Amino acid sequence: MAAVTYGSVKRPGSKGHRPPPRFVPAKKISWRERAIILVPYLWMILFFLIPFLIIFKISFSITEIAIPPYSPIITFEEGAMQIILHLENYTNIFTDPDGTYLRSYLKSIQVAAFSTVLCLIIGYPIAWALATSKSATRNILFLLIIMPSWTSFVVRIYAWMTILKRNGIINDILMTLGIIDSPIHMLQTDLAVYIGIVYCYLPYMVLPLFSALMKVDNSLIEAAQDLGCRPIKTFFKALVPQTRSGIIAGSMLVFIPAIGEYVIPELLGGKDSILIGRILWQEFFNNRDWPLASAVAITMLAIMAIPIIWFFKNQRKSGGKA
Amino acid sequence: MENTTPQNQSNTTLSNVKPGDTVVSKQAHLPGELPGKKASPMEQNKKPILQIQGLTKNFTNFTAVNNVDLTIYEGEIFALLGSSGCGKSTLLRMLAGFEHPSAGHIILDGEDIVDLPPYKRTLNMMFQSYALFPYMTVRQNIAFGLKQEKLPKDVINERVDKMLKLVHMEEYVDRKPYQLSGGQRQRVALARSLAKEPRLLLLDEPMGALDKKLREQMRLELVDIINSVGVTCLMVTHDQEEAMTMADRIAIMDRGEFVQIGGPREIYENPNCKFSAEFIGSVNMFECTLTTSSLERSIIACNDFERPIELQHDIDIADGMPLSIALRPEKVYISHEEPEEETNWCSGIVENIAYLGDISIYYVRLPSGRIITSTLPNVDRFKVGLPTWDDRVYLSWDPESCIALTF
Repeated sequence: MAAVTYGSVKRPGSKGHRPPPRFVPAKKISWRERAIILVPYLWMILFFLIPFLIIFKISFSITEIAIPPYSPIITFEEGAMQIILHLENYTNIFTDPDGTYLRSYLKSIQVAAFSTVLCLIIGYPIAWALATSKSATRNILFLLIIMPSWTSFVVRIYAWMTILKRNGIINDILMTLGIIDSPIHMLQTDLAVYIGIVYCYLPYMVLPLFSALMKVDNSLIEAAQDLGCRPIKTFFKALVPQTRSGIIAGSMLVFIPAIGEYVIPELLGGKDSILIGRILWQEFFNNRDWPLASAVAITMLAIMAIPIIWFFKNQRKSGGKA
Repeated sequence: MENTTPQNQSNTTLSNVKPGDTVVSKQAHLPGELPGKKASPMEQNKKPILQIQGLTKNFTNFTAVNNVDLTIYEGEIFALLGSSGCGKSTLLRMLAGFEHPSAGHIILDGEDIVDLPPYKRTLNMMFQSYALFPYMTVRQNIAFGLKQEKLPKDVINERVDKMLKLVHMEEYVDRKPYQLSGGQRQRVALARSLAKEPRLLLLDEPMGALDKKLREQMRLELVDIINSVGVTCLMVTHDQEEAMTMADRIAIMDRGEFVQIGGPREIYENPNCKFSAEFIGSVNMFECTLTTSSLERSIIACNDFERPIELQHDIDIADGMPLSIALRPEKVYISHEEPEEETNWCSGIVENIAYLGDISIYYVRLPSGRIITSTLPNVDRFKVGLPTWDDRVYLSWDPESCIALTF
């Protein structure tokens, strides 16, 4: 194997050390390793890239009463190939007179963002408790967090419906205790949607936070205290920066699926909480307007992808080890 | 045990050894002064800055620190020396406020700080791992403590610049810790803990994260910086060389208690028990019996020697009682000629010679089977006539070199 040389050579007269060079040895990848890498690639191509391209293609056609219910983009007429790209679907989204689409986008982002913050606030102490518990209790706590996901997602949402409805458990208890006279309207409100999303997505916040908290260097926390930080300041100055990767990962795992969430707002939300997931459903199945639905989906992807890509790029720039 | 303490670099040679020739000194970081002879803080009328009274820390099934008393004086560097698990770190953490003592008082500047949280204590700690914030630059790290005091920005900047200059890190202000070498990180950590001008600086294994070569260099540098600031300093270490080089006074700790407290020279020359004698440096330890003891003379019989051991002072135990005699290897003279004295020598066969560069260690087997070590500085290593393997040699020592230990 060729001799390994590092990028930086200390020049005479140049004082001090350069930062250690990021060195990645040029390693030959054997065909075995290639084959292993190929599996996830194939998976992503088959189940993500190809469906995405199909949806992308449909978004440029117009609806037709046919099977499939949209116009072909590529047609052959008299031996000449014709490609017609319809951009109306995209312009419709932004120029809709009621602003239905834009409003539901904003609403989705708002609900997802607020749910993410709630998950973070609730999840952090839980993750902290997990990380600082003894290994025996930790297993039990883990089980308690993961066990709900052993039952079906839809069943759990239905369970929340029976808890939150007019004559549900909460209203029953509050009424028998005499705290309220008439039942509180909880089901089919935004509150119910938040409860549902936070309940379902909390584990996805807790687990990355937990693994970040496990790696926390306790001496940094002590150092912050030693240098005069009160507990709250210590938390923000020594613990949060150390668990940043966990906070980001957890937030992504909650925010991204929450934006496109359909079942929870449909079952727990009110008629006015029109989120983008419900719009998609309506366009696909009620209106059978596949091209417009595809355009809505592609636009949603773009709305989500752009800030995420920007974020990760920024991350790398300011990066380093942290 | 490894023995490379500066004490061995004495100027004794084989032929002209005289008792007074052995120079035992702390490494001379203050030229012209023998720090081992420095007056104790009590003699200098220094005022106590930290008083620990009856400090105890019990964990569920053991006692880490057991009813410890200690006074530390203004301006001194004090080392807690002990092997791992002796309670020295727990003691330090109680001072910093990370552990709450089970009993006792910690009085800093006349105020009992036992119930104060760490952020209210006017002391700072340099952590073993340095605990620099990896997401902050050198400047931000040093400024961190000052920012918590809500000082004006220009005051902070001025103080940080002063600290950077003190530790010679001006060029690295904008580096992140991972871009620094181990020694540089240590300097930043020191600057950060000194920036708040603490009344007491705590050092937790200050050299623990450095390699051996750097360690020796940083010891003196650290002492210089600490002395130039004039801060009182309490350090914890398991490295006796480090403690002897850096500290004015040392406390040897074992199983949560202090075994001996004193200057490096005092502890080395006059250990008060077997533990301290064996812990610091190497030592030949002999189980003996007191034959007679008078004011000027004590005669001790040892099964390992044909000749009795003679000390020129009395020993405060009854005749016929057992005691231990400790003898430092560098104080055992080795020769081919039989000494003329009646006492304080024995004979043996050179079993092995370990060449360590600066010194050689002779392992001499006595007729009883015991091995006794004697070190020889290597200035004369290649002179003819030095004892070599399987030679019959005579080991002798001065009466004052023997330390009688009764427990």
